[in-house]
Amino acid sequence: MPALPQTGEERAVDIALTYPWALLLLPLSLVPFFARQAKSLRYSSLSILPFDGLSFLFSNGVKLLTALVMLLLIVSLTKPYQKEQTVERMGKGAQIVILLDRSASMNENFAGRYFGGGASESKVAMARQLLSEFVLQRQDDFFGMVSFSTAPIHVLPLTQDKEAILAAIRATKTRGRGVTNIAPGLYMGLSYFSDIPVTGSRVILLVSDGAAKIDIDTQTTLTQLFHQNRVMLYWVYLRNKDSARLDTKPANINESTTPEYFLHQYFQSMGIPYRSFEAENPQALQEAIKAIGELENKPIRYTEKIPRKDLAETCYLWTLAGLFLLLLIKYFEVKTEQKLIKRYL
Amino acid sequence: MIEEFHYQIPWRTSSAHPGRHLGRHSGGEHDFQGHAPLISRPEAHNIDVHASLLDPFQQYVVRTFRQRSVINVTVIADLSASMGFQNKMATLAKFTEQAAYSAARSGDHFGFMGCGADIIPEFYMPPRWYKGGTAELAESLRHYHPASTNAKGLLTVQEYCPRHRSLIFLVSDFHYPLQDIATLFDSLLKHDVIPVVMWHPDEYEQLPEWGLFTLSDPETGREKTLLMRPGLKKKIIQAFNAQREQLKHLFIRNGRQPFYLNDAFEADQMTRYFYEQ
Repeated sequence: MPALPQTGEERAVDIALTYPWALLLLPLSLVPFFARQAKSLRYSSLSILPFDGLSFLFSNGVKLLTALVMLLLIVSLTKPYQKEQTVERMGKGAQIVILLDRSASMNENFAGRYFGGGASESKVAMARQLLSEFVLQRQDDFFGMVSFSTAPIHVLPLTQDKEAILAAIRATKTRGRGVTNIAPGLYMGLSYFSDIPVTGSRVILLVSDGAAKIDIDTQTTLTQLFHQNRVMLYWVYLRNKDSARLDTKPANINESTTPEYFLHQYFQSMGIPYRSFEAENPQALQEAIKAIGELENKPIRYTEKIPRKDLAETCYLWTLAGLFLLLLIKYFEVKTEQKLIKRYL
Repeated sequence: MIEEFHYQIPWRTSSAHPGRHLGRHSGGEHDFQGHAPLISRPEAHNIDVHASLLDPFQQYVVRTFRQRSVINVTVIADLSASMGFQNKMATLAKFTEQAAYSAARSGDHFGFMGCGADIIPEFYMPPRWYKGGTAELAESLRHYHPASTNAKGLLTVQEYCPRHRSLIFLVSDFHYPLQDIATLFDSLLKHDVIPVVMWHPDEYEQLPEWGLFTLSDPETGREKTLLMRPGLKKKIIQAFNAQREQLKHLFIRNGRQPFYLNDAFEADQMTRYFYEQ
């Protein structure tokens, strides 16, 4: 007989214990049925008292509850958890790696002035704001993030966790440093895709305000990688008023003074789907991002891992609730003979 | 001051010691028995002139009398753990003291036997004239915490009772199966046994209307949780009343009405009890 395929639902009941040895204490939960009450009133002889069904039910109910509370407590001690699960989901959208320029020039505004790290109209702040909105709009996309300046920083691998990616974007509030060194950033961004199956369109969203020279060998490798991983490239170029445009050939054409033009040329020559957006002011940047949002809407199939869930907390809560109930019952119990009489007299 | 009650017995004692109660032996000058010829009883001071004149044989006739004698008054107390409820021991001590004092005042012998699983040596006093020696007994009774899980010793007391028929106060809460009580009474058939039933109002009448508590039986060690409510209280009182009724039948069959002893007890109640018999 062929084995049945395991589905997500079937594994939902997978519960395991961290400290199974605590189950050795289980017989202790039978104690309430044998132990004597801590506070019982001395009576002459029970033989004469009539049988009372309600009292019988109640006292046995309390014993059962006590046993249950002890049982729960022991189970809590074993620290049970639900095992990690994988759930298959259908989604629309793409795998997008945000490649954010964190060079010193990103701290300036579009006019090329620096107003301090927290200034709201700096290029990086603008990019941050718009990227956050973009991420929020794209519900089903995977996002990854690399920030780069002189060297790239691995920030967040591809994930669907919106909180995480938003936090990663927020984390760029610190002041950027260094120069724009695009090639290593692209390397790292591409490396994000290498371990993951192709389930939808893949995009590297490069947000930068400048470029750097990429030597021929690196160019070849990058082109190869782009093709291998089937990655599209969108470049949002945050242009200063004085900087060179991407399309028009600059007057003093030189790899070190106008690297943007050459980089654009190179990207176009790679033979992959490539689009560039020149954003000279906040509005333009917004439009560029909107355009990207409209581009990528292919359905993708992917599996999501749900991390193992700790059930001990729930157990403790139930134990606490049971204990509270027991305390309440004990509170209403008459504990001394004196009280029993005084109540009446 | 120790209160005193007066007891009377509807039978003649065979004891030869002069005392207050009707006896079987001839003698004395109070209890008229009948007539006898002077020849058989040469007691000239007892010549009954009227009877002599009426005598068909024209003999001198003398009056004969029966002697009044002492009896034994014995208190047999159940000292099992159930008697430790509330102030039952104090009540028992008080009653014992009064019985001893009353017996001494009547010139009778007094004895005491306290029984747990066996007769407790500390609480065994053979029938004697105790004029002032019972205060100590009462004191030790008052401070005694009964712990015995049964009162089987009661079934052996008849071996230690006096030979003659004596007055016995059997003090117990009678929380036993009726069969056992009947056996006990059968063993004491020779004596005039007055069942003194010690029930405390807290056991049934004065239970609260509402409440949640656990009662423990000191003899069996069992526990019972009660969710008290007026209906249940009524049921408990009914159970006690039913027991009271059954005990009454059993006691009357053995010759005496039960006397109910609780902490509101006064000696006059006992005196009245004897008058009502």
